[in-house]
Amino acid sequence: MQPFFPDLVIRTDEARRAFESSPVVLDAVANGMPVQRYRKFLLELYHLVWHFNPVTAAAVSRIADSHRQIRYHLYEHMQEESGHEQWVMNDLEAVGVTPQDTRAYPPCADTLALCGYNYWVADRGNPCSVLGMIYALEVIASVYGGPFASAVKESLLLEGERGVSFIGSHATMDVVHMAGLRTVLNTLTDSASRDAIVESTLVNFHHITRIFESV
Amino acid sequence: MTQAGLSGIPALLGRPYRYLRLEWSSELAMLRLRTCVKPIQCYSLAAMTELQQVLADISANPGLVKHHVMTSDVAGVFNFGGDLSLFVLLIRARDRESLKMYGRRCIDLVWWMETAAQRGVHTTVLVQGDTLGGGLESVLPFHKVIFERSAQAGFPEVLFNLFPGMGAWNFTIRKAGFAVANEMVLSGRLYTADQLYRRGLVDLVVEDGEGEAAIDHVVRSVHPRLRGTLAALQARRLAAPITYESLLAIVDQWTEAAMTLTDRDLRLMERLARAQVRKAGGAEEGAVEEIKRLELDTAWGEERSGNTGWGDESTGITEWALPR
Repeated sequence: MQPFFPDLVIRTDEARRAFESSPVVLDAVANGMPVQRYRKFLLELYHLVWHFNPVTAAAVSRIADSHRQIRYHLYEHMQEESGHEQWVMNDLEAVGVTPQDTRAYPPCADTLALCGYNYWVADRGNPCSVLGMIYALEVIASVYGGPFASAVKESLLLEGERGVSFIGSHATMDVVHMAGLRTVLNTLTDSASRDAIVESTLVNFHHITRIFESV
Repeated sequence: MTQAGLSGIPALLGRPYRYLRLEWSSELAMLRLRTCVKPIQCYSLAAMTELQQVLADISANPGLVKHHVMTSDVAGVFNFGGDLSLFVLLIRARDRESLKMYGRRCIDLVWWMETAAQRGVHTTVLVQGDTLGGGLESVLPFHKVIFERSAQAGFPEVLFNLFPGMGAWNFTIRKAGFAVANEMVLSGRLYTADQLYRRGLVDLVVEDGEGEAAIDHVVRSVHPRLRGTLAALQARRLAAPITYESLLAIVDQWTEAAMTLTDRDLRLMERLARAQVRKAGGAEEGAVEEIKRLELDTAWGEERSGNTGWGDESTGITEWALPR
């Protein structure tokens, strides 16, 4: 049986390519964003990051003993991601959004749809689906995050990591995460989990593309 | 019988391809394949799967297709080559096996072209725009290579510390000799259609807009002499052999080299990948212009000195930076 990681790459390749070739994404990665749009982007991102661990926890609680290696991987991942919403909040402060405004911000329909889907599959579907969310986020961060952070820094004349600490650091961290994710994904041999992760990846790429476009 | 009970031409043409358009000429037994890979005209996994399917269908119907012709439906681009952002993803995931799998899929396509004469098929390709890296590698195994005059091509991989690993060395050495292969692969330079013609990599250069007529001319002149031509091309393979094993061994080396790329190299690769997307989005400037910007002092020292070893030819990136 083919290891799952290459299978996942192949089956979701078009969704990844659709993300990277969205004109809005393309422009953002090449030229950064005006400050208003970047604020809005970070406000949407805050919501996604804030819900990352609760979604993952919901999934972990339903993962069967037969997939304990997935559980352990997710425990570690949750530990590493814990508190990162504060990084987004700090970046928002650096571009002029107070923590109060961040907390009060109502996310757009696409962000709600993505969070809603991720909770729903964690709760009602195959809990391994959460790995699809993680794969999509890590691909985006590790492949596109670095250039995006550099472009934003340049376009907004930000100093050091101020304003881009979350994106910039995840671009680097997720390179390590990606290698770990590949290892754990390759342990999956059941087609139900594999199919669920593929579906989740496609949905996550789709909504993240829409979120980019909406800001 | 293939594909739900169909065989022959209906089976060949009846598949629902997303990135390919097929046309059949019964008069010449010619299968015309036009590529239009979305969102970027490159060798994505999905596009390669479709190409492989077409070639498998041709092989499954021996004697049916006598001429295979490939062109691009994307204005200004023949093919950007490998899917660079996929490479970045796989390298960052430390996924050696998937990279190797990608390379092997490319080799399977190249190998089909290399053995096409044995299958009774004469192959012709028309290049009407930029073709870079793997795009150029995919062109070289065709029996007849036609370029329109404004087309430009090269192997830019060395710019990000890699090399073209899917047949560039083998086919360039066979067609143009070791010195030219060395120059092209190790410099990362881009070449005009005329420069490639002078080096023996292109068989025919025609004016822009005359490519279609050139295809017709080539196919119609080969057709009456097809059996002899194919026999000669098979003999050529014996005289200047290229083996599947050597292609695979180079892909394995390419994979190992790719796994050693640094973050800086990957950033350069990302720049090119983004440039590919920009051009796909309709921008004037694309990967070719980005390569010009990526001029590295070491790579372009020869260009700046004007010493290319090809007479008064002082072309390449530097020349192309001038308005045309």
